[in-house]
Amino acid sequence: MDSMVRNPDVKQRDAAQAVVVAVSSDAIFDPEVEQVHGATEPLRKGDAFSFMKAIQVVNERLLTMNSDETLLFDVILLSNDSEEKHSRIIASAKHYGLDIGRFCFCNKEDSIESLQSNKVKLFLSTDTKDVCKALQKGVPAALLFRQTDPHHQTEDQLKVVFSGDVIGSSEEMLHGLREQGFTETQLQGFKTAKGSVKEFAVLMGEMRRRFGLEGSPLCTGLMTVWSSRDVCASALKTLRGWGLLVDEAFCMAGAPRSPILNLVQPHILCLDGLYHMEGFTAMS
Amino acid sequence: MSEIKPTDTAATNAGEEKDWAASKYFSDSLKTKKPRPPKPQNAVTIAVSSRTLFNMVEERKIYEEEGVEKYMAHMNQQKRENEPLMPGVAFPLVKALMTVNSRLRQLYPDSEELFDIVLMTNNHAQVGVRLINSINHYDLTIERFCMTGGQSPIGYLKAYMTNLYLSKDGEKVTEAIKEGIAAATMFTSGDVENQLSDTQLKVAFDGDAVLFSDESEIIVKQCGLDMFFEHEQEFENIPLKQGPLKCFLEALGKLQRKFYAKNERMTCPIRTYLVTARSAASSGARVLKTLRSWGLEIDEALFLAGAPKGPLLQKIRPHIFFDDQMFHIEGAKELGTIAAHVPYGIGQKYHKGELIEQTVKDVKDKK
Repeated sequence: MDSMVRNPDVKQRDAAQAVVVAVSSDAIFDPEVEQVHGATEPLRKGDAFSFMKAIQVVNERLLTMNSDETLLFDVILLSNDSEEKHSRIIASAKHYGLDIGRFCFCNKEDSIESLQSNKVKLFLSTDTKDVCKALQKGVPAALLFRQTDPHHQTEDQLKVVFSGDVIGSSEEMLHGLREQGFTETQLQGFKTAKGSVKEFAVLMGEMRRRFGLEGSPLCTGLMTVWSSRDVCASALKTLRGWGLLVDEAFCMAGAPRSPILNLVQPHILCLDGLYHMEGFTAMS
Repeated sequence: MSEIKPTDTAATNAGEEKDWAASKYFSDSLKTKKPRPPKPQNAVTIAVSSRTLFNMVEERKIYEEEGVEKYMAHMNQQKRENEPLMPGVAFPLVKALMTVNSRLRQLYPDSEELFDIVLMTNNHAQVGVRLINSINHYDLTIERFCMTGGQSPIGYLKAYMTNLYLSKDGEKVTEAIKEGIAAATMFTSGDVENQLSDTQLKVAFDGDAVLFSDESEIIVKQCGLDMFFEHEQEFENIPLKQGPLKCFLEALGKLQRKFYAKNERMTCPIRTYLVTARSAASSGARVLKTLRSWGLEIDEALFLAGAPKGPLLQKIRPHIFFDDQMFHIEGAKELGTIAAHVPYGIGQKYHKGELIEQTVKDVKDKK
């Protein structure tokens, strides 16, 4: 059971055509803030702030090019907070002028169902466990990358990076993972994750094509962490086949990914499920 | 044996170890059983741009004359994607580095002290498929790459723990040097590949403002040669400060010692040369003493006492020659040597001994 509140300050998008993105309220507003009964000041900014600003830039550019554009980002704030915090959340969104179309309040256990019933194209969270849980249930989800370095933070360009180790690996290779100790459930999980990545990639590809090669407010990238260059090439071709021509590509082949990610500072990191699946700890 | 790179506590965190372990599975499952690329902190990382690795002169022309969209359209034509690009100016160097790696792997099968070649390009990722196809065609050991889609590669160089960066773009190279990364600008040379050794990597360095700082060069330019000789003799026992390529020579030396340790000195596949305009008698001692104080060896030290470097380099046939002065670069190129310019120090303000007029930086006509 959820309660959906429309934001009167934001023009409602056509949800069927838009890229509906659900963001957890803990990412938009700092959850560490003390809960003082009756407090009314705006909540403190959370990790997703530069993401929210960047999305706004993309939407504005799209509307400038075509005022009837329907392929826009449509943000739902997903909150598991207690009822007394609801109005404060809505007021804070208004205070910061955030482009949030709807507020969805529900219990933690009902979150996945809410995401599914609202046909969310992407669920974003800073918690990898939540992302993996959603992916396993077939809800497209991605990690809101924690931007640690304020100097690299961009608010005027949305950066989306796709991880490509599973996307670019052949069926044969993924099959071979069985011998490395992965269970059927886990392997099925990768297939599901790959499917939901595809859906989002197609949308990003379409959106990216609205802009030219240079000066685009949307920047897309691909990163392979473990695989060889051929897997990376294969991932590039797969994404291309889905209509997404990425701007940047990084092939790490086992080299540490954090230095590169810290430099790229993506807002959205689309995991293809492999990294944080529990079974993977068996490998190390 | 001391590290080639400073140990970074952050580099040993659990997450990275997991990634490293995982890459083993992905690499073992490859049918070709290619050797696994080394951990960056153990390797000597050489970043090459796409234009130094491959000959992209025609493509570059389209980019400069018709703009990025036409360039991308040209590069991405389906039929072109599988057309291997022709080898570029850094190609012979890359092949030589691969030769050294196979020799190292034979002697030290479990060691990661190897060369790691990274493709570092400004290019849009869509060109990546063609670049990878070309790398496959020549069977080059380049497993890591970074396509920045137009962004400056400088930050990425650090992120990849680069020991040496080679590019055709002087501006990027200058920026890299300012950031403390050894770098040099390569120039197209004639077809020398056939004449270069395919069993021994040969690297030639100029001395002042390349291996050493430009402190002595400043004296030459500002006070003349006589003052320079006097100064160098007076300060003979004071080591010169280090220049931008000193650490790269050091890294080469460490790998060389691995061969010496296995009694392979005579057949060592790395050979280093110092090619300096200094003269042995009047200013050479300080150079040799400086190298010794750094614990570095150089296989051949050639003091030209002002004679042109071109003919000597033609005999040596290095896979790369580093110099800070365009005058020497041009002289080397004319006689077919693969020359790389190190834009560092006072030499940049002079041309053929004359001070270049300070020009106001104009707005660039291309980004």
